Amino acid sequence: MLKRFLSEHPLRLPHLKPYVPRPSDPSIFWFNSERDDVVSDVVNRICTAHESDRARLEMALNDAAFHEIRRLEKQRDDEARERLGYWRSMIRRIGKMDDPEQRRVLHTIVTNMTRDVAGNFDPRVYRFARRAVPRLIGGVMEPRRLTQDLMAGSSDSLERVLRVQGDLEHLRHLQNQGSLVFVPTHSSNLDSIVLSQALEISGLPPVVYGAGKNLFTNPIISFFMHNLGAYRVDRRIRVSLYKDVLKLYSQVMIERGYHSLFFPGGTRSRSGMIERRLKLGLLGSAVEAFTTNRVRRVDRPVWFVPTTINYALVLEAETLIKDWLTEEGQGRYIIEDDEFSQIDRWFAFFRKMVGMRGACIIRFGDPIDPFGNRIDPQGQSLTPAGRSIDAGGYVERQGKAVTDPARDAAYTRELGEVLGQRYEEDTVLMSTQVVAHVLFRDLVQSTPGMDLFARLRLRGEVGVDSEALRRELGEARDRLLVLEGKGRVRTSEVVKEDTPDELLERALSFWNGYHDSTAARREGDRIIIADPSLLLYYQNRLVSFAEDIASPDQLQAACEIENLGVLR
Amino acid sequence: MSLRIGVVGAGGFGRAIAQASARHGHEVVLWSRKHREVPHPIRSSTDITSVRDCDLIFMAVPARHAAEVAEQLGEVVDGRHLIVHISRGLIGPELKTISRVIREKTVCRRLGALAGPLVADALAEGRPSGAILGTRFPELTKMVREAMGGSELRVYDTPDVVGVELASATVGFLTVVLAYAQEVGAGPSTLAVLATRGMVEVSRIGQTLGAKESTFMGLAGLGDLIAAVAGDERPEFRLGRALAKGAKLSNAVGEAGAYIEGIEVAAHMMEHARRLGLETPISSTFVALSEGRMSSDDAIQALMERRVGKE
Repeated sequence: MLKRFLSEHPLRLPHLKPYVPRPSDPSIFWFNSERDDVVSDVVNRICTAHESDRARLEMALNDAAFHEIRRLEKQRDDEARERLGYWRSMIRRIGKMDDPEQRRVLHTIVTNMTRDVAGNFDPRVYRFARRAVPRLIGGVMEPRRLTQDLMAGSSDSLERVLRVQGDLEHLRHLQNQGSLVFVPTHSSNLDSIVLSQALEISGLPPVVYGAGKNLFTNPIISFFMHNLGAYRVDRRIRVSLYKDVLKLYSQVMIERGYHSLFFPGGTRSRSGMIERRLKLGLLGSAVEAFTTNRVRRVDRPVWFVPTTINYALVLEAETLIKDWLTEEGQGRYIIEDDEFSQIDRWFAFFRKMVGMRGACIIRFGDPIDPFGNRIDPQGQSLTPAGRSIDAGGYVERQGKAVTDPARDAAYTRELGEVLGQRYEEDTVLMSTQVVAHVLFRDLVQSTPGMDLFARLRLRGEVGVDSEALRRELGEARDRLLVLEGKGRVRTSEVVKEDTPDELLERALSFWNGYHDSTAARREGDRIIIADPSLLLYYQNRLVSFAEDIASPDQLQAACEIENLGVLR
Repeated sequence: MSLRIGVVGAGGFGRAIAQASARHGHEVVLWSRKHREVPHPIRSSTDITSVRDCDLIFMAVPARHAAEVAEQLGEVVDGRHLIVHISRGLIGPELKTISRVIREKTVCRRLGALAGPLVADALAEGRPSGAILGTRFPELTKMVREAMGGSELRVYDTPDVVGVELASATVGFLTVVLAYAQEVGAGPSTLAVLATRGMVEVSRIGQTLGAKESTFMGLAGLGDLIAAVAGDERPEFRLGRALAKGAKLSNAVGEAGAYIEGIEVAAHMMEHARRLGLETPISSTFVALSEGRMSSDDAIQALMERRVGKE
């Protein structure tokens, strides 16, 4: 009961005196004064698109009633008892309604959906969160330092663990000229927390983002999420109008200059591989925001910031890879029973991370326009040769800016491909991933002709001589550095600077003591592959580079590993 | 509505496209490195900036020159321009498509690949013909149809751009194979099996590069191959015959009278297939034949003795 109340009525602080934003405040500080406008803009656009076409309108209402009845019948909860009657009576009446009544019903449904989605932004909560959250996370990592950090007003623990890379000055400059859309890779539920901290410590603006409605049932998370601009996404709702609302809400926010964030992978990478197949819905909303502004002659560009979130240790690694390996997992979009929901795992995870410098690296890549071009410091799109061009030309037809959903959908697909490529180039390979790859390649090499699943059953049965492993690690690292020199990928400081021996020890130490079973362990002069599945998860980050970093005698095994990429 | 059309490359196809577009009443400029005489009202130019004001640009240069020409184009075009290329080829061992090269060298994104049983003479003279345009942009299809489609040329479209480019590039190789087989006396049934299974083989490789199988079975693949076998006098056909008569590959290429990309493409595709563990019996056998490692009788026997399965 309380959960449902919280998810539908998030807590807000009383407004004694309205906050008047200052010109230097980030765009989101204006949100509350524009909220009703945003809602009515979304509602009007959807209603207008349906009103002129009775068949389309009737189809939308039928679709809404059908999917909601199906969902609520399954739910059998308080919401079902309240709402089922409404939808059942509506579905019976749709065919008999005259045009004005159908429009009225559509307006009511869309308004309710949009109000449910729209967020809130409270500068007081923002100020509190930016001071307290890093210290609390730091406190979880190192309880002994909590008091010290709170007194000092900073969190050394967090700063030691989290590294931010990229041309931050460029991004800070662009934030006042257009809408920034951060599009990160997605490995863990910690990503949004870690990313918001990375934005904060980099002097980048807070962003608007969609968060699953299930997160709003926790009163504390709900309070912060709701008051920091997050909009609510109820993944249980399959209604096509609801998808329109989500897309348009995101689009209208970007059109109005609110910096945004979404994960184009849609869900956490189950395999650990760098995402290649991206969900295009929200990306499309940002492309259409650019077009709409151009057609309306509003000079507010939209820029995408490809971002990679790189962990040496992933909180939910075991559940994710298990999910990827089972057919059942392929269809499981939301996992609610993983390590993210177990507080003891959080503590174990953060304690492990804090002992290792730079265990999490956020890399903000060079921003691009919706057509994949790089941007100069003044916000102009650049050709490969460095000539600046007007990005508005992409939405022109014979000299005039026009809307064309089919064209924008094609641009979005192309943008998805560019982002997939950029994710590879901006991925920072971590020690655990490199060591896992070399070990897994040894496993493949020593079991010729065996299939993946048979190999994954070889727990504790395959060992590698540590001296040989050190040599292979050194060679793989050298080849990775060559790839880095060509701009194909990046490696962490640790991968660059550690000796092969240190790299190996570091990876073994990361795995040992956090995961239920370690990925590999030392036994005398041999390194034993203890959990090939876990090893697979960490090494999967390197599938695209397997052939490039293999020596001629490892090439066959590397090809087999690279072919795993087809499964992503 | 009259369009401003730029054609880059004044070879057979470039000139044919320019003529077809001019016949449809559009303003056409034909760019080439050297000055060329062109029929009225086509305008000839050696200055690449002359295509800057065009709405639609056709790039009709051999694949091996595509990167260089695209780089030159990159200096004058921007997001407003729509580009269609008519090159049958893939670049390098990574099998890079020409549309990818254009995307890398220019900022144009509204791109398409025109292929299929399109013959330069027929296009220039307005004889009934058909083509396939691979593009993700419906507005580009509309514009190409406006530029030269109609009762003389049926322009079909598909969003499978990479499929069109791969099918078109591999048809050249399969044409050489079929010409060879015909010359050594293979009958209609052998030719049909070689053509069909050859197309299945290349489409299997194409699918690993993101192409759709159906594209290989359509105008870009089988349609184009039928035109080649029906005798549209392609240099690949002459090459296949010369090889069958015992000419060395380098001599046979010279005899064919044109630079032939199909053989190079086949070698790169086989390497790609090998890495993925895919079987390529027809391509591998033909490469062994052309390098003199196998006789034609042994080749037919080797192919016929392979395990046979479901289609």
